Amino acid sequence: MKRLGTLMVLSALAVGCGDDASATQEQQDVALNFAAVVGEEPFVCGGTYENLGADDASLVLSDFRFYVQEVEMKNATGVWVPVELAENKFQTGGVALLDFEDCASMGNEDLNELVTGSLPAGEYDGLRFKMGVPFEMNHVNHSTAPSPLNITALFWNWQGGYKFLRIDSGQFSGTDWRMHLGSTGCEGDPMVGGVTSCANGNRVEVEFDAFDASTGTVVADYADLVEGAALDVSDSNPEEGDDPGCMAKPADADCAPLFENLGLSFAGSTPGPQQFFSAE
Amino acid sequence: MKLLSHTLILLPLLLGAGCGDSDTSSASGAWVWDLPDTVPPPRVPEDNPMSEAKVELGRFLFYDTKLSGNQTQSCGTCHLQELAFTDGLAQAEGSTGEIHPRSSMSVANAGYAASLTWANPAVVRLEEQALVPMFGEDPVELGMANMEEELLRRLREDALYPAMFADAFPNQSDPINLDSITKSIASFQRALTSFNSKHDRGSSALTLPEQRGKALFFGGTTEAGVPDALECFHCHGGFLLSQAVDHDGSEFNQQTFINNGLYNLDSDGSYPEGNQGLFDITNDPADKGKFKPPSLRNIAVTAPYMHDGSIATLEEVVDHYARGGRLIESGPNAGDGFDNPNKSSFLNGFEITEQEKQDLIAFLRTLTDEELLTNPAFSDPFAE
Repeated sequence: MKRLGTLMVLSALAVGCGDDASATQEQQDVALNFAAVVGEEPFVCGGTYENLGADDASLVLSDFRFYVQEVEMKNATGVWVPVELAENKFQTGGVALLDFEDCASMGNEDLNELVTGSLPAGEYDGLRFKMGVPFEMNHVNHSTAPSPLNITALFWNWQGGYKFLRIDSGQFSGTDWRMHLGSTGCEGDPMVGGVTSCANGNRVEVEFDAFDASTGTVVADYADLVEGAALDVSDSNPEEGDDPGCMAKPADADCAPLFENLGLSFAGSTPGPQQFFSAE
Repeated sequence: MKLLSHTLILLPLLLGAGCGDSDTSSASGAWVWDLPDTVPPPRVPEDNPMSEAKVELGRFLFYDTKLSGNQTQSCGTCHLQELAFTDGLAQAEGSTGEIHPRSSMSVANAGYAASLTWANPAVVRLEEQALVPMFGEDPVELGMANMEEELLRRLREDALYPAMFADAFPNQSDPINLDSITKSIASFQRALTSFNSKHDRGSSALTLPEQRGKALFFGGTTEAGVPDALECFHCHGGFLLSQAVDHDGSEFNQQTFINNGLYNLDSDGSYPEGNQGLFDITNDPADKGKFKPPSLRNIAVTAPYMHDGSIATLEEVVDHYARGGRLIESGPNAGDGFDNPNKSSFLNGFEITEQEKQDLIAFLRTLTDEELLTNPAFSDPFAE
């Protein structure tokens, strides 16, 4: 019953560094659709959404951006094959930025709902990727990084990295409910001149055993992300260091349900499957 | 007034810095370190060699309110030269009015820090650190996040900057960019060395009370008959008067974080939430309350003290260490820091006479480098 995607054939462009073996193999283009939703509704920048989280909160959502890395598709023999991402302002070095906001105070007008690239010609019926930026690209000089790794609103400099995920309510005031995720527990070495390791990579692993790129969409659902989380900002107490939202600090209890929903370990917990992303 | 100055000439680093990008600035004057022969040069990243043009550009940028979103603050707003590049406040206030949980640290000798800021092992380069106050959102400091293009526009339209950037980065066709901004500010900060205090002129330059205080600081026996009763130098030793030091010749990572018994909110040794030092990074309960021991250079002009500015005077600081931790009897922060389970083993408390206390403080006052506080080369170029 499952239609295998007929993927457009690409004029064999060898993207990236010249690898002779792959240059001789025929490549085909692939475009992966992403969508941002809040429960049953599509995410619209500035939209108001009800019945969110553990306390049925209402939030005006503005920002909704995340990076993906290590995009791979499963071929007919069950082998995962890397997608060679195209280079453009939303993609560099195998990392892509999905950008669903066009009204956030920390954002811009551009949108991106596609990850584009190529892979050896053939049929593919599964998709996997990670939400994040690879360690070796996460902890380099942000000031000289190419787009989309040069967006200062996605810098995460207190840990020397990037915000892998940024979802904000409001327009940047102290009472907005914000979710920022990046690597934490990072250590640096003055002789190396940068970060050498991070205890918590916080890269979200996503795998769809069945996914047809020609018809399928990867859906990121904010309602699923915040399920079980207390969102009512009046419950927070900034005076005592308890800011609303989750900046991924290991000691911030607001983060526990969000990490669980992302399939990430929080403060030593054993992670389960992620539920933020689904395939439709 | 002869100084022990020995001039070290740092040749423009011609070390291979990766691919052919070179903003080596030999054209704009070799950099000369003005350091006593007891002090090594700071570590200078291979991709950001020092030059006079870059340091001077960095000075302008450091003091320029164009670097804040609403153009009300510069780096210099919280790092005032006359206060050894601190601000006199218990906790810093950002450009949008947000109060920082921490007290502004001195930028003097920042080039020698094994880690930057109060308790963050991840931040080890001044170029990277500069991005935190500029673009950080939690808390907002300069408030430039998402305004990088606006920042570059302001600098490109300025009367002075295009020529200054071209001079500092002669090999770049378009030198006004984020990388050159952070490199210039970092170079200025590395140039802010401060080793010209009375203490640096040797014991013979000190008065008798100052000499007695110095002896107590470095392990001397108190009147109560206890050798090394004060134990100050274990955390505040070496040329920087901080163990958490890095320099050109360092072969080991000497990052240091210690708990000095300021708080003890519960059986875990908690500090107030959101301001728990190294724990906020590692989430290891044994790291609660651990902060970098800052350099004590210029300590007399950098009150109030501690990471949250919660001790007002040097006298009270000595009292705190004499007790071996702070007792807070009531309120949300009640607890006895003396019993903090993470407290450093050097903080056992000590008996000290009033005379010894005054001697110790007299010594701490010899650590002030008056030249740093007034040197025109470090001053605000926009001041009237």
